[in-house]
Amino acid sequence: MQAKAKLYPKEAARLLREKPGVREAVTGATLHFEEGRKKAYGEMDAEALRERAKRVKDHLLTHLDQYLELAEKRLREKGVQVHWAEGPEEAHRTLREIVARHGVKRAVKAKSMLTEELGVNPLLESLGVEVFETDLGEYLIQLLGEPPSHIVGPAIHLSLPEIQRLFHGRFGTPLDASPEALAAVARKVLREAFLTAELGISGANFLVAETGTLALMENEGNIRLSTSLPKVHVAFVGIEKLLPRLADLALFLPLTARAATGQRLSTYVSLIQGPAKEGEEGPEEVHVVLVDHGRTTLLHDLEAWEVLRCLRCGACLNACPVYRQTGGHPYGYVYSGPIGAVLDPGLLGLEEAYPLPYASTLCGACYEACPVKIPIPKLLLTWRKRAVERGLAPTWERGAIQAFAKVMESPTLYRLFSKALRGLPLPQDLLPLLRAWTEGRGPLKPSPKPFHLLWQELKE
Amino acid sequence: MDAKSRILSRIRQALKGMPKALLPEHPHPASPQDPLALFLKRLAENGAEGHLLDEEGVRRLLADLAQGLPGAAYGKGVPSAFRLLPEIPPEEAPLGVSRALFAVAETGTVALSSEDGRRTQLLPPVHLVLVEEKRVYPSLLEALLDLKSLPSALGLHSGPSKSADIGQVMVKGVHGPGRLVVAVLQGSW
Repeated sequence: MQAKAKLYPKEAARLLREKPGVREAVTGATLHFEEGRKKAYGEMDAEALRERAKRVKDHLLTHLDQYLELAEKRLREKGVQVHWAEGPEEAHRTLREIVARHGVKRAVKAKSMLTEELGVNPLLESLGVEVFETDLGEYLIQLLGEPPSHIVGPAIHLSLPEIQRLFHGRFGTPLDASPEALAAVARKVLREAFLTAELGISGANFLVAETGTLALMENEGNIRLSTSLPKVHVAFVGIEKLLPRLADLALFLPLTARAATGQRLSTYVSLIQGPAKEGEEGPEEVHVVLVDHGRTTLLHDLEAWEVLRCLRCGACLNACPVYRQTGGHPYGYVYSGPIGAVLDPGLLGLEEAYPLPYASTLCGACYEACPVKIPIPKLLLTWRKRAVERGLAPTWERGAIQAFAKVMESPTLYRLFSKALRGLPLPQDLLPLLRAWTEGRGPLKPSPKPFHLLWQELKE
Repeated sequence: MDAKSRILSRIRQALKGMPKALLPEHPHPASPQDPLALFLKRLAENGAEGHLLDEEGVRRLLADLAQGLPGAAYGKGVPSAFRLLPEIPPEEAPLGVSRALFAVAETGTVALSSEDGRRTQLLPPVHLVLVEEKRVYPSLLEALLDLKSLPSALGLHSGPSKSADIGQVMVKGVHGPGRLVVAVLQGSW
């Protein structure tokens, strides 16, 4: 996928102006997820489980080469064909070969963020393959030609009336059709696709090295169908998605479900070991494509590698007051919200993702929500520091901060300036820093008394 | 160099500068007092129906579910005593009957093996799952630690198929069964 992260501030402002309904839809959905998570975390010793999950992931990442080789060995023993890809080019080559060898005309696809990174749908379409996104939310945005807006709920930015209009135009359903009726229409189209597709495509929530098990989580059943009905199943797996032992799933499956949607476990979990055995239903071929696409670069980065623990649960998006305003689209890349702000600079390079580390209030809610304790606020500051060092941050900002620091460090200057600011009219439109603030909030008004005086009075 | 060697060599290079983290042991599972009761409670919370029944009770439940239906799809492991309706393909069947490998109390989950037949587990709108009482594990950890061999695919089902993707309204039976009924069979078969 082409990254448009550089446009973040512009796109966020445009969305707030042109689609005010998105804010309401996204806030409603994320608050719902967030309440679910809080309740689900409250049922267990969340702190202990998060710490344990962090430690398992850190062990995995610091032994990644060994576990990747073990996973490959186990997968091959079960008859899975393993491919490696540094990025889209190699992943595409593998997929092209499979499509050609099996004469694939139709593919059913389960939602996967990695396949968004790799541009799997455009590739398949260019090969003349009809691709069906089978997650209901993902299907909606495929019909609209949009990218996902949220890691877990790709269509949370759409309101019911918007979906009713979409289906009215596409399938002729009434404009007041109920969600049940709309889902039934989608179900009919997709059921037909499941039964006729030659290829099923998925990502993976986890790949267990010990047993070569692919673990996939969902609530609808579309992943189970995509990986059961077509004769070929291809799973794209980021190399950081491994877990050491099968029993580690007992920690990670429930923890991910609780963090993502507040469930004790997702409705369906598929644990896939390989192609169907003789006389058994299921795919004749299973392929696993192990994908790097920037992950090894992040592993080299001693200040930023912890982001590789990410389980893609979306909990930090739901907790984030900034994400809630616009949803994921303005972030301009596959991963939005707090995790996108620290993952995208690592995957794309800071030059491509520059404004994202600033898309945060640093309130720390993302860290509290994260099931593997990724220190997102710390990583945001790391990327901001680098942006300043590399001259990516605007020079006026640097100058303004330096001047501000000078003033704050000297009591004499501080008194002088605070007196001047209260006495003189503020040049609201002249300072770009102030303009960014006042545009959405109205003019700044200085307090009649300085803080230290107010504080003194309060104490007396 | 192929992609695998390039990726692995970059990883090894990166790991040189990093301290190795230890792998924590699995915790000791705190077992609930009555796993069976917990299983039925969790099933209900997940929007599924659970029953603890003897063989006769299962036949009665089946007869209830079968009323007015032309046939059902069956998993391979379903005993003939429980095949009350004529067998029809899962694509057309209004009812699927499967036999679970095991169940998990803490999450209200039935585990279904690909060896039993995946279409029966997924395509009919109503899914009845039979599981033996002694195959109900208190926790997922205990179940996974106890697994001796894995089928080509294992499906963990914890309720009916559902989605809230359309305007945040919960819709059941989107792709898989909209109704999940679990019969825990007392004794063995």
